[in-house]
Amino acid sequence: MAEIPRRDEIPPGTLYMLILKVLVRHGELHGYEIANSIQRISDDVLQVEEGSLYPALQRMLLKGWVTAEWGVTAGNRRARYYRPTAAGRKQLNAEMEQYQRVNGAIQKVLQTA
Amino acid sequence: MTWLGEFWRQVRFRLRGARFEQDLAEEMRLHVDLRAAEKEADGQDAAAAAAAARRQFGNATRLQEMSREAWGWRWLASLYQDLRYGIRALAANPGFTLTAVLSLALGIGANTAIFGIINAVMLRALPVEDPQALVQVRLGDGPDDELNTPIWEQVRDHQQAFSGTLAYATESFDLANGGESQPAQGLWVSGDFFGVLGVRPMMGRAFRSEDDRWGGGASGPVAVISYKFWKRHFAADADVLGKTVRLNRQPFVIIGVTPPWFMGLDVDRGYDVAIPIGCQPILHGGSGPPDEIHHWWLRILGRVAPGQTVQQADDHMRAIAPAILRATIAPDQSPQDQAEYLKSRFLLRPAGLGFSETRLRYRTALYALMASVGLVLLIACANIANLLLARAAARQRELSVRMAIGASRRRIVRQLMTESLLLAMLGAAGGFLFALWGGRVLVGLISTTSNPLEIGIAPDLRVFGFTIGAAILTALLFGLAPAIRGTRSGLNYGLKEGERGNLKGATRLHLGSALVAGQIALSLVLLVGAGLFLGTLRNLLTVDPGFSRHNILLVSASLPPATTVAERVRTYDEVLGRLRAIPGVASAASSVLTPISPAGWAQLTYPEGFTSKSPRDTLVFFNRVSSAYFETMETPLLMGRDFSEHDHGSATRVMIVNESTARRFFGSASPIGKTIGLDKPGKRDERELYQVIGVVKDTRYNRIDEEPRSIAYLACAQDTEPGPQIRYTVRTGGPVASLTAPLRTAISGVNRDASLEFIDFETQVNESLLQPRVVALLSSIFGSLALLLAVVGLYGVTAYMAARRKSEIGIRMALGAQQQSVIWLMLRGMAILLVLGISAGLAASLVLGRLITSLLYGVKPDAPAELAGAAVILSIAAAIAAYVPARRAARLDPMKALREE
Repeated sequence: MAEIPRRDEIPPGTLYMLILKVLVRHGELHGYEIANSIQRISDDVLQVEEGSLYPALQRMLLKGWVTAEWGVTAGNRRARYYRPTAAGRKQLNAEMEQYQRVNGAIQKVLQTA
Repeated sequence: MTWLGEFWRQVRFRLRGARFEQDLAEEMRLHVDLRAAEKEADGQDAAAAAAAARRQFGNATRLQEMSREAWGWRWLASLYQDLRYGIRALAANPGFTLTAVLSLALGIGANTAIFGIINAVMLRALPVEDPQALVQVRLGDGPDDELNTPIWEQVRDHQQAFSGTLAYATESFDLANGGESQPAQGLWVSGDFFGVLGVRPMMGRAFRSEDDRWGGGASGPVAVISYKFWKRHFAADADVLGKTVRLNRQPFVIIGVTPPWFMGLDVDRGYDVAIPIGCQPILHGGSGPPDEIHHWWLRILGRVAPGQTVQQADDHMRAIAPAILRATIAPDQSPQDQAEYLKSRFLLRPAGLGFSETRLRYRTALYALMASVGLVLLIACANIANLLLARAAARQRELSVRMAIGASRRRIVRQLMTESLLLAMLGAAGGFLFALWGGRVLVGLISTTSNPLEIGIAPDLRVFGFTIGAAILTALLFGLAPAIRGTRSGLNYGLKEGERGNLKGATRLHLGSALVAGQIALSLVLLVGAGLFLGTLRNLLTVDPGFSRHNILLVSASLPPATTVAERVRTYDEVLGRLRAIPGVASAASSVLTPISPAGWAQLTYPEGFTSKSPRDTLVFFNRVSSAYFETMETPLLMGRDFSEHDHGSATRVMIVNESTARRFFGSASPIGKTIGLDKPGKRDERELYQVIGVVKDTRYNRIDEEPRSIAYLACAQDTEPGPQIRYTVRTGGPVASLTAPLRTAISGVNRDASLEFIDFETQVNESLLQPRVVALLSSIFGSLALLLAVVGLYGVTAYMAARRKSEIGIRMALGAQQQSVIWLMLRGMAILLVLGISAGLAASLVLGRLITSLLYGVKPDAPAELAGAAVILSIAAAIAAYVPARRAARLDPMKALREE
């Protein structure tokens, strides 16, 4: 029941970064696998409202950061597999760099207190 | 760049088809199923697992919508929705739609048609290579822009200022070989005319410098013809090259055909045949360019070299100007005139738009007409806005319901604006078609047999853009206010107040009333304008020009230039004798010029006993006429005698002057017997003396609307060097058309080679009044249209008010109100609007009237009669428009009205 308020805990804008990161790591995933990966790697701390992955993925398709292709899952069902593009990797690096810079700055502020 | 990629992906995505929704749904279903399966595996029961999975996933519909938005589809989808809804709303109300579209089509069409002509003659660049680099070389800033051949040769031979120069002139050539003339639009052009313009011929070759030699070039007399002439005159003959075309009886060999888009440099004229300037002696005689020093006929153009500015070209030109002027000075001029000439300056003027007589003649008229049709469109907009207001009131419930179930106000305004835009676009489409037709009609109106116009009014991108712009602007004008009004009241208002029986509701009509008052004001402006232009035309038609314009046939006869003076004199006299003998001819005379034509002849005079303050004071306009000329023209001879057979070549030289000349030179003294000296042709400081033998009434010379000027007449019989052309003026008792055949027989009986042109003098006078006639006609049409629209608007608003106040009227009448008092109740509001509108309209007319003074003759823009007349017409029309619905309201059966509650 606690999942819904958690939605706000992913800072706005970082969802792309997280999706890109797991895609770069695994190469090719469908939506459900992306959600599970993010959850598992973060030790269940980060839980997205799972559905919001999909509008984000569409926006990323439009921006050309990922491509999508239909494939078949282990359970023999049709699934759309997403794969990062070169532009996507570049975007990931840029976002990570920016995130770390901001994060470092915030931490500095917090440490001086 | 990123937006470009996005756009491309968007397009590609959309082209791939509409599997988007299914794909997304399948993907999401898979996700939820897998999650549910996982939870079931963890030990939950199937139903609970599925519910939990769905909860964890979120609102699928909303997510799907968000995904769609990610692709920017919401905008498109809602536009589609709006359009569909708008079409349905318009189709549901065909009466309103038809009225609105028709009035818009008329309004936008009229605007587009007038703009099309303005575009063609004032805005569109010539279809030649880099037209912006073309400049015209002028001498001084006067109205005349023609230069002579010696100056042209100097400019051509010293053209450092330009990358190329050209000269040209227009003339009407005669294609017939004697007999009735068959005119062709001719161009005299310099050798590299086509080269400098960058016009490559479609067939054959263009002129080269060696074609343009004085007296005919290396290949003899050659001609280049236009595409249109090739089609019309040679039936698009593929073997036209090498054939000859006869111009004023002289053969020219055709060497090329220009492409269809090239119509010459005069944008309203087109051309048929172009021949080299050097062929001048072939058609007109004369021995060499030096003789041409008094023949100002050529327009000279230069092309500013790439990378150079007009300023640099101007500097160059100024540097070489003294040498050019010294080389082209007229040897027979007085020393003062020569000194004056050496001081003249060359000016460069942009010529990329080409030349146009229509532009000069109709500029103010076109602007006035453009403003008129703009006002008509505004009035039409006000009408539609009023209709929309009434409709918005009727749709109040619908709009309130839509807002109540969650539509934002912006969304509804956008939907209503889509409807308006749809209306405007339909109107614009109709208007565009209307303008295609109307533009041709307009050109037909201002084109005459003696001055045929050929204006390329085929719409281009600019005209198209104008139409679209007009449509969008009108949609904003008539749609925005009603849309904002209709949604302002908030959602409860319509649902609560929509009931019958409330006596308010007039509040919403403030805007409507303002619109009606504005319509009345604008209509008044247009009516005043129409009145002024009609008054001008009436004055021009009734002014006494000093001659009679009825029952006179003019015949212009040209002999081949090779005829000798003796032959000419004999022919002219013999023809005149035969014409006078034809039954039905009341009187006949010959003259060198005819009145109310563009041609003129003016020179300085030396009247006996008159000391002039400046040489211009002695300038007199001339004509040379035979005996009985004044009798034929019905110009009264006020004093002295007419020319007679005694005034032959060896007798005393005689002259007849008009009143203005007599008064100016001799005051109250009798001019008869006084002498006036004239410069001897071609000689400096030698004069011939003429004795004044008569005084005639003042007549108009070039134009009906000119002020009386000094005119003097010499005798044809005393002409020592008669030209190859003469004009006969023939008066009949009946219709002039029946005379053409016997006149032609009589003239060809004397000389078979003479080429003839017949024109009814009345036609010539009327054609000179074409501009005021067209302006009066069009402004009356637009004024009536404005009046009609305003009346319809007023009627609509009164009827709508009456309907809204039905129950109030019912109560009043039930309580004993008389019909008259009810009618007055309804009319009172309208009367106030009328007074307001007319006052505003009168004020605007006074301001705007000053802008059109140059188009008026004999009326002042603040003429009380015209202003009052327009106000009275408008008031009567408005009173009727308001009275009809008011009376209908007053005839209401009070019981019925109240029972409807």
